[in-house]
Amino acid sequence: MTSEANPALFGRIPILGRFGLWIWRNPLIAPALLVVIVVTQAPFILTVIYSLFRWNLQRPENTAFNAFGNYVDIVRDTRFLDSIVTSLTFTVGAVLLSLLVGLIYALLVHDRFFGRGIVRTLLITPFLIMPIIGALAWKYTVLSPIFGVVNWIVRQFGAAPIDWIGMYPVASVVAVLVWRWAPFMMIIILAGLQALDDDQREAARMDGAGPLGEIRFVVLPHLKKYLQLSALLGSIFIVNEFDVIFMLTQGGPGTATTNVPFLIYQSVFYSFDIGHAAAMAVVTVLGTIIIVTYLLKLLGSLMGDLD
Amino acid sequence: MGSITISKVTKHFGALEVIPPLDLHIEEGEFVVFVGPSGCGKTTLLRLIAGLEDVTSGSVAIDGTDVTQVAAARRGLAMVFQSYALYPHMTVRENIGFPLRMAGIGKAEIARKVETVAETLNLTGHLDARPGQMSGGQRQRVAIGRAIVREPKAFLFDEPLSNLDASLRVNMRLEISELHQRLQTTAIYVTHDQVEAMTMATKIVVLRSGIIEQVGSPMELYNQPRNLFVAGFIGSPKMNFITGEKAAQHDAATIGVRPEHIALSKDAGAWQGAVGIVEHLGSDTFLHVNVSGAGPLTVRVAGELAVNFGDTVFVTPDANRIHRFDAAGNALPRRN
Repeated sequence: MTSEANPALFGRIPILGRFGLWIWRNPLIAPALLVVIVVTQAPFILTVIYSLFRWNLQRPENTAFNAFGNYVDIVRDTRFLDSIVTSLTFTVGAVLLSLLVGLIYALLVHDRFFGRGIVRTLLITPFLIMPIIGALAWKYTVLSPIFGVVNWIVRQFGAAPIDWIGMYPVASVVAVLVWRWAPFMMIIILAGLQALDDDQREAARMDGAGPLGEIRFVVLPHLKKYLQLSALLGSIFIVNEFDVIFMLTQGGPGTATTNVPFLIYQSVFYSFDIGHAAAMAVVTVLGTIIIVTYLLKLLGSLMGDLD
Repeated sequence: MGSITISKVTKHFGALEVIPPLDLHIEEGEFVVFVGPSGCGKTTLLRLIAGLEDVTSGSVAIDGTDVTQVAAARRGLAMVFQSYALYPHMTVRENIGFPLRMAGIGKAEIARKVETVAETLNLTGHLDARPGQMSGGQRQRVAIGRAIVREPKAFLFDEPLSNLDASLRVNMRLEISELHQRLQTTAIYVTHDQVEAMTMATKIVVLRSGIIEQVGSPMELYNQPRNLFVAGFIGSPKMNFITGEKAAQHDAATIGVRPEHIALSKDAGAWQGAVGIVEHLGSDTFLHVNVSGAGPLTVRVAGELAVNFGDTVFVTPDANRIHRFDAAGNALPRRN
């Protein structure tokens, strides 16, 4: 009622048309919206502009309009293509393993046992630790060949310590990502488990299903949508992972763990090549928008038939 | 196949004792109803038999074999849940066939058995529907189908009709009774509704606070309630309880008379009273009569009766139908 009354009260501003109507109706959200536009859209537009220039901070005198030259360069650049593959490897590997570990966590803490509250809190903790600190802890206290817990265990068995990060860089990064993201998956899956009617599990038990049958035939089908939701959200977050790679491997050895965000970072802060970096960023943003739009549509249809 | 023996079973939830030591024997083919007020432990007892809860002590035996430590899946019992507990992602066909699939039976055999069960339960046209697309009564049928398809040693029903509307409830009650007549499989049925208990059971177990108050056929409980609780719980409307002088005349602390065992007259009778609320049901009329020295009594008169609020009437209890109870509430022998 009020939304219809407002235009009559204030009058339309003819030049602004629908926008004028909108501005009257939404004076409260306008400031926040303005801030969001300034801090997200303005940098993106600037990035698009930068990407059209040949611009290296070390040779500012060479700055010139380059049209789509930077884009042609990066498409020819195998490092960029490699980094896309690395990004996908991390995303797929970390998401699948996080789902599996998160599912096990969730099944574990869904059943009542003594100390469940503490265990649940401890399991969630990795997600609450600042990513860079978590990666630092992994680097020096877990995976380090000298001080690491893993190598301490390896030595107890009489084996020689292993330089995990040096020898298995991709696996090491994925391990840290799983450690960090499995709790996130656990929270979503746990919510799904709590929405499952206990009677259904008991009915399955009465119908002769063992513990594994109960999970396979009743729990997992019920969790399908929650698992898909976790996978979608996980992918969106993990595809742009930077902190762990920066702290753990610096993209190395060589370019073994250089994903797209890290390559862009290197282009800006090591090569000072703003034009190239901006072009890669634009391609990444467009690619992400396309993937996310598709995923969100998928998500919408998932949520649609959730009942 | 299908006798169940419960020996000295107890159940504690933490410090709370839900079932004190309890013994019960259920014969093969019986339709046993556990009845009692909310929280009396009837569902817990059923779940102990099912194996969905562990007993704190004591043992459960099926067909003479101790199954106390046997998992629910291996006890050979089938259960119908209050919420139906159908698998929402499976069709009706898959739901009914699920226990057979778990038992490792071949696909052709499953299909044949599911068809047969669906025919018995009028579900043939719905076999490819999902539970979400069905009405409450149909879901209930699917749940029953899932229970009967694998010919279990016994059926366990946990208040299966409480989510249905009144008329459907009566229909399903009949269907379940007919099913039992036909299959002759042992059934244990939990309800708080004494009408369901009276109409369906061959044996009723009345529970209060985890203690068995009385076990017997419906008519035994109706005619010879062992104590005040059973007397008050079985029968609708409730038995009238009278204390004081009128009870003392019968050498009892309390006497009980069922509403249908009180004769009503406008002219003469044992006790005089004033008519309170009158409930007309068509087939019966329930009168609430205030009798001095006895308090308000419920009287059931067959058919319709023209009496009004405040009328003076005379009520006469049937001397052969007076139940006597001592001060502790236990029944005293009849005096005839």
